[in-house]
Amino acid sequence: MKTTCRMIKLLKRGFVSIFLLLLLNHSYAQNRIITGEVTDTSGSPLLGATVTVKNSRAATSTDVNGRFTLHLPPNAKALMVSFVGMQTKEVALTENNIVSVALSASGASSLNDVVVIGYGSIRRSNVTSAISSINEKDIKNIPVAGADQMLQGKVPGVTVTSNSGQPGGGVSVLIRGITTVNNNQPLYIIDGVPVPLSTTSGGNDYLGGINGQTQESPLATLNPSDIVSIDVLKDASAQAIYGAEGANGVIQITTKHGTAGVGKLEYDVYYGQQKIQQKLPIMNLREYATYFNSVLNDSASGVTDTIGEFKDPSLLGPGTDWQDAVFQTGNVQNHQLSFSGGQGKSTYYFSGNYYDQTGILINSGFKRYSLKASLDQQVKSWLKAGININLSSTDQRISVTDGQQSVIAAALYNSPAVPVKTFDGNYASTTTIQNIGFGNSQNPVALAALRNVQAKQSKAYGSVYADVQITKDLSFRNQLNYNFQLNNNSAFQPNVVNPDGTIISSPSKLRVDKANSYYYGLQTYLTYNHVFDKHALNVVVGHEASYNRYDESQVSVTGLTLNIQSLGAGTPDPASPAGGGIYDGSSESYFARINYTYDNKYSLSLSGRRDGSSNFGPDKRIGYFPGASAGWTITNENFAKGSKILNYLKLRIGAGSIGTSSAPNNAYSTNIRLANNAVGLFGSSSVPGVVANVGYPALSWESVITYNAGVDANLFKRIDVTVDVYRKVTSKLLLATTLPSFAGLDPNPPNNSYQEIEPPYTNAGQITNTGIDVGITSHNIQTKNFTWNTVVVFSHYKNTLDKLYAPGIILFGKSQAFAPVTLTESIAGQALGSFYGYVTDGLYKSMDELTKGPNQGLPVGPQGLWLGDVRYKDLDGDGKITPADQTFIGNPNPKFTYGLTNNFSYKGFDLSVFLQGVYGDDIFNYSRTETEAEFSVYTNQLSTVLNRYTSSNPNGVLPRYNQYSQNNLKISNRFIENGSYLRIQTVSLGYNLPANWLTKVKMSTCRIYVSGQNLYTFTKYSGFDPELGAFNGSVLLQNIDYGHYPNPRSLTIGANIVF
Amino acid sequence: MKNKLIYIPAILILFVAGCSKSYLNRPSLNGPTLDNYYTNAEQVEGATALLYNQVWYSWLDKAFHCIGEVYGGNMITSAGDANYGNNSYVYFTVSATDGQDLLAWQAFYKVAGNATVLINTLQQARTDANASYFDPGIAEARFIRGVAYFFIARTFGDAPIVSDPVALAGSGDLNVPRYLQKDVLRFALNDLEAAEAALPETPFQPGRVTKYSAAGMEAKLYLYMGDYDSAALKANEVIQSGKYSLYPDYEAMFTTAKANNNSESLFALQWIAGGYSYSNDIQAYAGPSTLLKPDFGTGYSSVIPTIDLLNAYEPGDKRKQWSIMQEGFSNPNWINSNFPNGFTYDTSLAGNSDDATHITTGTRSNSLKYINGPASNGGDPTSAFGDALNLYILRYADVLLIYAEGVLGVNATTTDVSALNAFNLVHTRAGLPPVTSLTKDMILHERRVEFAFEGDYWYDIQRQGFDKAKDIINAQERGTYNGDGSIAHQHANFTDASQLYLPIPSDEVVADPELAKPAVPYF
Repeated sequence: MKTTCRMIKLLKRGFVSIFLLLLLNHSYAQNRIITGEVTDTSGSPLLGATVTVKNSRAATSTDVNGRFTLHLPPNAKALMVSFVGMQTKEVALTENNIVSVALSASGASSLNDVVVIGYGSIRRSNVTSAISSINEKDIKNIPVAGADQMLQGKVPGVTVTSNSGQPGGGVSVLIRGITTVNNNQPLYIIDGVPVPLSTTSGGNDYLGGINGQTQESPLATLNPSDIVSIDVLKDASAQAIYGAEGANGVIQITTKHGTAGVGKLEYDVYYGQQKIQQKLPIMNLREYATYFNSVLNDSASGVTDTIGEFKDPSLLGPGTDWQDAVFQTGNVQNHQLSFSGGQGKSTYYFSGNYYDQTGILINSGFKRYSLKASLDQQVKSWLKAGININLSSTDQRISVTDGQQSVIAAALYNSPAVPVKTFDGNYASTTTIQNIGFGNSQNPVALAALRNVQAKQSKAYGSVYADVQITKDLSFRNQLNYNFQLNNNSAFQPNVVNPDGTIISSPSKLRVDKANSYYYGLQTYLTYNHVFDKHALNVVVGHEASYNRYDESQVSVTGLTLNIQSLGAGTPDPASPAGGGIYDGSSESYFARINYTYDNKYSLSLSGRRDGSSNFGPDKRIGYFPGASAGWTITNENFAKGSKILNYLKLRIGAGSIGTSSAPNNAYSTNIRLANNAVGLFGSSSVPGVVANVGYPALSWESVITYNAGVDANLFKRIDVTVDVYRKVTSKLLLATTLPSFAGLDPNPPNNSYQEIEPPYTNAGQITNTGIDVGITSHNIQTKNFTWNTVVVFSHYKNTLDKLYAPGIILFGKSQAFAPVTLTESIAGQALGSFYGYVTDGLYKSMDELTKGPNQGLPVGPQGLWLGDVRYKDLDGDGKITPADQTFIGNPNPKFTYGLTNNFSYKGFDLSVFLQGVYGDDIFNYSRTETEAEFSVYTNQLSTVLNRYTSSNPNGVLPRYNQYSQNNLKISNRFIENGSYLRIQTVSLGYNLPANWLTKVKMSTCRIYVSGQNLYTFTKYSGFDPELGAFNGSVLLQNIDYGHYPNPRSLTIGANIVF
Repeated sequence: MKNKLIYIPAILILFVAGCSKSYLNRPSLNGPTLDNYYTNAEQVEGATALLYNQVWYSWLDKAFHCIGEVYGGNMITSAGDANYGNNSYVYFTVSATDGQDLLAWQAFYKVAGNATVLINTLQQARTDANASYFDPGIAEARFIRGVAYFFIARTFGDAPIVSDPVALAGSGDLNVPRYLQKDVLRFALNDLEAAEAALPETPFQPGRVTKYSAAGMEAKLYLYMGDYDSAALKANEVIQSGKYSLYPDYEAMFTTAKANNNSESLFALQWIAGGYSYSNDIQAYAGPSTLLKPDFGTGYSSVIPTIDLLNAYEPGDKRKQWSIMQEGFSNPNWINSNFPNGFTYDTSLAGNSDDATHITTGTRSNSLKYINGPASNGGDPTSAFGDALNLYILRYADVLLIYAEGVLGVNATTTDVSALNAFNLVHTRAGLPPVTSLTKDMILHERRVEFAFEGDYWYDIQRQGFDKAKDIINAQERGTYNGDGSIAHQHANFTDASQLYLPIPSDEVVADPELAKPAVPYF
């Protein structure tokens, strides 16, 4: 209630201020004034373009929106519009007082591109901080749901990894390394509206077993075809204007608006098929039977005789190919229809999008319906207003992945002796052959087909704004941003019991998790833009306030009548009581930025933001975040002019400080838990309230300080080079402390089953990233009929966890299992998420080695430690293999990532070849602890087990078959693999139909294309796909492959048609 | 000129008219916080009530028996029961990785930590200095913390003390040292003294601790420290108050919740029947299957009386039948499908397998204390998770015996009338004739049989010092009866003074290497 009042007050203030300005404004809007807009050919506004009246001294320059206002002297006939690097254009004046001018580039350079920097935009040539941009061409026509994934390999300093091949699945976007141990997701701003942090689905764990990957791409709800450009603010001097929440980097997404002129109707369509890149060499039934028989001859197999059916494997068929059973050919289709245009004072853009993808894993998929409308209206010569509406609805169906019970893991280790379905058409469980049970009771096909876990989102977001031109240099903008969201997640499994009593899926269960959330923010800011003599000044001062609220409820029922997927068909599940919660938060900020350029040589940018966040206690709510950067364009100095080699050279340096307020709601305060179960003590009938957590009133902002130095150069007028080096230090990490038990608080936070008091969140610890980003664009050949350009992107970062909240503290990354296993440890001095385990030292190959080797805790003998078993290194030299012999055995962080794009065009044809790669990362191939376990003959294995140690194959690569101990399966470097890869990510061939054909059907352009994605991967990695990402975005669980959903290979055909 | 004026109102609007300060104040919408809770007596009492309950659970569950009874030689564990340390409490070979060792450590520190947080929280919540209901609440929490540190000092010897876990978390250094045991005891004593000063003379609800509860615990602590004069002085305070008396029905005190918070109870943990972690679950582990299996599937007889204890009772001491189930024990109120006419303890099939109505433990006995019976037990609430039987930490009988021992002090014997009176009150309730003089061994023996299965005997032996404790422990018969009635002997191997205290759990030493170093003074 209070909140609403405040919101209304805020709105009132905004409108009152506009009204006030209108009154004042009125006083000078008298004689003939011409207003207009200057854009580049793509419709992006140009800031700082010079507009002069021909043969007159009257002149002005354009503002951040590319707009200008000019008092016309008498006799004015024409305007001259110029902009560095653009062809100057003469515009004849007519009776119309509003003009729009589109300038085209004079040469091959990106220096004139407009860069969105937050509350405004500037020309690339005036940028003094580290900002990378890509435009719509780079991300169009890629058959994935989210635009975040489309950034992969395209932006220097941005490491994009798909966390899952699941349609619509999560994506890890790291801007300049790992900023924090918490969520590393950058801040996405779509047309000024911040997109809420990741959305997750869930519920597989409710149905039993692990939950698996549940994160969705935060951008999956945005239709990528509506995007004009994406600007990535990479260093703190650029991010500081966003202060809080900008610490992980800011990705500014600009969507389409109409431009005045002839209306356009565009239709984009593609259709594609997707397949798994490769199958893994698991054994077929014949190989499996051979393996089964050969194990008989291994010492200590425990198997004494083969079974009849397996005696002569050549008589057997191939058995069940479980990979074929769970993988399918996926389909993806995308239709996008848009209308845009405008006349005089109005411009518009409407679009509708339908995206439908079925995954390569059975019963996974993603659908999106979206609508967008934006209207911009020049209400008065000094007032422009507009509205931007985005509506979308998405539906994701999720398979359980990344863990032992995942569909893919089960498909790999399930026995080929087991059929998918029995003769009577029911799903098969295990198969019994001569009293021996084969396979896994959880049939992976049944698991995928029967469970229905869905995440549905409906969303409306956008903004309404009013822009007031107060004087020709000063403008005032009021913008209201909004985002309403409904999430409807559900998990369902039917009760399926075969006629013979075999349980396939039981009991029937349904969990429904609904949440509605809303966000609104009000931005008001003044922009002052002045050019005089050689000075160019741009000042922004503003205020922003926002509020968000999240309201969630969960209900679970079981015993569903006729397996009907409805809450009404069952009874409440006593094991999962109804739950929910309401959370809200608010923030208020003041910000200012000054950009000053002298003589196009020296540029200085100063910015600052004062943020207030409700996430902290009364004394810690306010944070101050300054940023400063400077640039020197050497080639504009007289001494450097005229170089034939160096056409352009600018040096940039910058530093800034930003923060993160991502503590859980009310972590600063002491919250009370109502102990419903403890009613009745001392005869009391009321619910006692105990302390749930200890508040930490000093809890404050996580801090990120970045230092950046960069060079922008243009060589031979055709090669743009940008190089940035940086050092980024994150300190005061917001972390839930884990204290020793003697502190008396929960020793295993956050959710111990006992009713414990949770330890406080504190600010402590430090992470440092140092790195270099390189971007090169070379216009190799530019002729009338043939062009060839090359884009190279290179990113390197080195990540070190300097310290945590106390010496000796370890952050653990554990596997998703009933009994979780530690896979990674993060401690001071190491990279985050480093793999931790034993170091192997070959196999035992002689009795001498066995007796002299370290004590591995097993007696020497066929049923203990024996020939062919793994020998581990005794790192502490105590003669025993103990947990103290574990060490850091791999680093999931790459040494560098890179992308290489070559674009060719010849007459109407265009060809684009995009390679993308990662070098120097390690992967923990956890799947091999199952598929090369050699622990049981009743589950399947990779065919690599055929080359194992046996007495007759003493040089075998893998350890012996050993069903007596898990010695050979310790977490060790045995399962660490090189994760480097180079991928032919996209090859796309297009053809623009000749104009004379098109005019007959009233088309203006029509491009048809065929495109392949993820065509081939050069790698030594033995799993499905070396691109693994982070489990649900956690930096503590990167590059772990255990039933991971691989990225598909796609072939698409499509067309972009403009009428 | 005019144009320039435009800036002023616009900028004023932006910067003067920001949101009000409360815009950023977003208290939790999900539940109370410190800002709006603990504003009345009932809320404070609800929080302190839980300090008598689930915070103690992981000690009550099994460590209670392991330390107090198995170490002390009153009970043995089923052979090799991993839940009870694989017999390591029988043999005195408990390792630093033992589960119950860790659980006891965690439980006592959890009690202390919860009490500490509540003390600090209530002090923060007390914005009104006149809100008097905070006083007993804070005093109760200090009482509980004092008792917890008393247990810590007795169980682990030198040990860390944490008086502000929030400050510890924010300090950037979690390496707290071990403090000398005498300082841990003094820390506990300070709490008890503060509690005594602020607690009421009579409980404001039955079962709440009073200033005499605190005085009694102080007496027990002084006795443990060997300060006999202070022990006698404090015990006498309780006796002179006249507020407590021995409860006439000894057996009922331990077998029915109807006797909860009786006239003899100075401090007892309060349990609620029906759920994990807040019910008294002792009968599930200590009780016989014939009694509990039909209703609850429990009755594991995991801990049973030792032959040594069975032999310790004097002839005619009724506490033996009130404390132990042996052949012939019966209770007509305990009715289950095996015993529709009331439960009978039948070991007549000794040497053969147990069945629904016959049970044969290694010592042909089960403890009776804290056995509440099956679902039909005469009206007490109970469940598979546990029942509502209070667990006594301090009984008036204890105060009387502390007084007697305090008066005896370091003397070999005493005939002090007040000491004899105190002792004889306890002694004669058991159906035994009064004694006319007292020795230390008489009192120790009296304490053993009076408080058997109440988790205290080990601490009584421990405070005798290493040499005497070693003699007592190593002489105890910790074996079982064979099928033919002969004894399969077992004895503890108590050889080193370090065995007087449980090892500090290894996980804790890893987290805090300071714990491996010699103890330092706290005060």
